Amino acid sequence: MENKHLLDFQNVFYTYDEEDKDSFAVKDISFTVDKGEYVVILGHNGSGKSTIAKLSNSIFVPSEGKVFVDGMDTADEKNEFKIREKVGVVFQNPDNQIVASIVEEDVAFGPENLGIPPKTIRERVDNALKAVGMYDYRLHETHRLSGGQKQRVAIAGMIAMLPECIVFDEPTAMLDPRGRREVINTARKLNSEGMSIVLITHFMEEAVFADKVIVVDGGRILAEGTPREIFSKTEMLISCGLDVPDTVKLSLLLKEKGVPIEGLPLTEEELTEEYLRILNL
Amino acid sequence: MIKDITLGQFFPGSSFIHKLDPRAKIVITLCFIVALFLCKNFFSLGLLFVSALVAIALSKISFKVILKGLKMIVILVVFTGILQIVYNDEGTVLWKPFEQFGFQITTGGVFSAVFIIVRIIALILFSSLLTYTTSPTALADAIERLLSPLKIFKVNVNSLSMMMTIALRFIPTLIEEIDIIMSAQKARGADLETGTLTQRAKALVPVFIPLIVSSFRRAYELAFAMECRCYTGDNKRTRMKEMKLGIRDYIAFGVLLLLVAVVVYTSFFNTFSFFIFQQVI
Repeated sequence: MENKHLLDFQNVFYTYDEEDKDSFAVKDISFTVDKGEYVVILGHNGSGKSTIAKLSNSIFVPSEGKVFVDGMDTADEKNEFKIREKVGVVFQNPDNQIVASIVEEDVAFGPENLGIPPKTIRERVDNALKAVGMYDYRLHETHRLSGGQKQRVAIAGMIAMLPECIVFDEPTAMLDPRGRREVINTARKLNSEGMSIVLITHFMEEAVFADKVIVVDGGRILAEGTPREIFSKTEMLISCGLDVPDTVKLSLLLKEKGVPIEGLPLTEEELTEEYLRILNL
Repeated sequence: MIKDITLGQFFPGSSFIHKLDPRAKIVITLCFIVALFLCKNFFSLGLLFVSALVAIALSKISFKVILKGLKMIVILVVFTGILQIVYNDEGTVLWKPFEQFGFQITTGGVFSAVFIIVRIIALILFSSLLTYTTSPTALADAIERLLSPLKIFKVNVNSLSMMMTIALRFIPTLIEEIDIIMSAQKARGADLETGTLTQRAKALVPVFIPLIVSSFRRAYELAFAMECRCYTGDNKRTRMKEMKLGIRDYIAFGVLLLLVAVVVYTSFFNTFSFFIFQQVI
């Protein structure tokens, strides 16, 4: 165990069909996530990105290659519990990951499985609900919440296990813009408090705040880099069915037309600032 | 339409009834139902009915909700009442509308109809109070604890209660889904509301098949989500809310005991005539 990454994929292959070894959903994927890092995995449908989520906490075990969580091999059944405590996964459909009918009882489900004493569970549940801003809803019925709220409850359910990393598998795909904002803001807030975040998505806008962006297509890693590096490769992104954020598109167009924009503004704020700078000249 | 079902719903609160131990509530409800079937005169039935009303008042659940729950059984109540009037020939004859058929309404019939109706209403009132004031998870946990002696016979009580929790949790989700599928099929020209009974039953097939398919998908995804939260099916789980019998529960048991004693005494041992209400059955 050389340098311990929190999450370490080493030449991982995975196939859903053991008979047909050529049909790998994930092919030769290697990447690492360190403590406190915010990593975004971009890819469109069928790119193998959801498989990566399930490989990260020993739900799936690699067909070939290794996945290490904090130095523990996910293929080793002994580690299963410790790994799932360290790496939580939030899935796409909020309805299909809520177990109990009442918000606080659902959040308590994970800690209850760990056999923690009741008092500690209570504390953990309250803290987790406060962390996602759902404390006032603790006695509400889960099926009456909005999509974004349900997804935040699911996140709280993970936080209550005190993980070091949360993997989000397309958490916003089924939400309206408002719910999407709620979830992404929650993820960013958790990250600012030291939690590692892996966000798997096909929404470009959500990749802007990442420390590292990984682009996957056809089960392979196509590119890896900072958001600025990735978004400057517009053609590559479009070739694998992805798009660049509107702000990036706009600044590239302006550059093309001869507007002297320096660097590559990613957010609206950055673009506005850059534009004001140019106007002031 | 289907969304209006209030039976089996939970209304969070902090009343005396809400705070009772769920195990106590289940046992008390069962005893109350037994008492309802033991009682044989209007005095004790009235007593039980009034105590059901008092329990509802204590639970602070709005009377509107209770009435809504009762609406569902109107047909059952009316039907049973009519049957009693038709088939009971005891007592003096009040009215002979169709003498040639031997049909007559007697005092015995009217008494027993009223008796049965009050009995059914008291039954529904009291037992729906159980689900109105107890969260499904608490209910499942309580049943698990009450059934735990069955572990001697190798019955997996833990899984049973988990199944119950999940089933109750998914009822509203599936009802919502039925609504969506029905709308989708109607939009495609399906006729779900006219035709003979068999035609309408056949028209429901394209509603239930997608529902079943999607339930399996949900189950599959839920299983992943539960695994992510360290559920294995045989781990020793702890609970956030410990169940402890308190003074409240003993008071409730005391009141119940008193009621049962009165019911049994007046129904089986009463030789005094100061209970002016006549015995019915």
